[in-house]
Amino acid sequence: MKLTLAVAALLVAAAAGTVLATRTHASERAPLSRISNEGHRVAVQRSSVWNSFGLRSASLLAVRGARAIYRLESKGGPCVGAGPAQEPGKLGTVDCPRGPFPTSERPVLDLSVYEGASHDSHDVSLYRAEGLAADGVVSIAFLRPNGTVALKVPVSANVYEAGVTPSGPVAGLVAYDAAGKELWRSP
Amino acid sequence: MTRLALLFSVIAAAAAIGLAQPSSAAAGWCWPSCSGYGMLGPGTSTANGCWYYSEVCSGWGYWYLNGVSKTCYPGCDPYNGTNGKILYGFENRDRIRGNFTSSYGRRYVQPGELGMGGYLRAQVTWWAGTTSQINVAVAG
Repeated sequence: MKLTLAVAALLVAAAAGTVLATRTHASERAPLSRISNEGHRVAVQRSSVWNSFGLRSASLLAVRGARAIYRLESKGGPCVGAGPAQEPGKLGTVDCPRGPFPTSERPVLDLSVYEGASHDSHDVSLYRAEGLAADGVVSIAFLRPNGTVALKVPVSANVYEAGVTPSGPVAGLVAYDAAGKELWRSP
Repeated sequence: MTRLALLFSVIAAAAAIGLAQPSSAAAGWCWPSCSGYGMLGPGTSTANGCWYYSEVCSGWGYWYLNGVSKTCYPGCDPYNGTNGKILYGFENRDRIRGNFTSSYGRRYVQPGELGMGGYLRAQVTWWAGTTSQINVAVAG
């Protein structure tokens, strides 16, 4: 009887521990599955090609420097767009990922522009940095091929942007939380 | 204007079936065709003098839009990421520019977004990892 009670107590304790661990894990991950910035509804320029591929609505998330970042809804699902800030509603690039975004496994959608200047090398530099990040991401670092930080940009209202970028090769990006902990690294 | 309207209509049709653009009627250039997907991996080439070796690129033109549709091939993780990384955008005689992606989905970019204009080639480059299954449609 005593043995049965002890085993039962152990099982209950183990189950409680599992639930607690799961909740803690989930609560830590939740901010990486959200984008709280809903922006405000804007009209996409009628002359734009984007109206015709199933775009239902567009919300301006932020204007940073010379750039405007949009959250889009299309027939195929959510998309992210960007364009020149001086021409509100004009989209120049659209990314429509299929599948959940953001998630802890993919908390960043990078719209940065990369440049190669050599035919022989796959080294690329950063022409412009911009993108969208989940709530829990507070900064993005662009890394050199040797792993050192080439550029670190803050994330504000889920958006990051840097129009001025350092020269030299970059080979990926890393997302950090408020404590400086690495949350994600680009493939 | 008629040309632009036609382009809009085919892009709408493309969105409906998931290709970057399905019709050969209005696309300036498609790869591998305007109605199907092809494999872009190490060594894949259109053999027309692209910037990189493992790259497909259009001919030279005054291009307006590069649309790329990437599938899950050869497999997606639960978040629709793949191991195949591509660079898509444009190139001229001095440089190649674009955005990276390794995820299932559709992307569109205009040359002006990349700080480019004039006489260009549209391009998609295999960058790393596994072969990607893509459809490319470029409008001018």
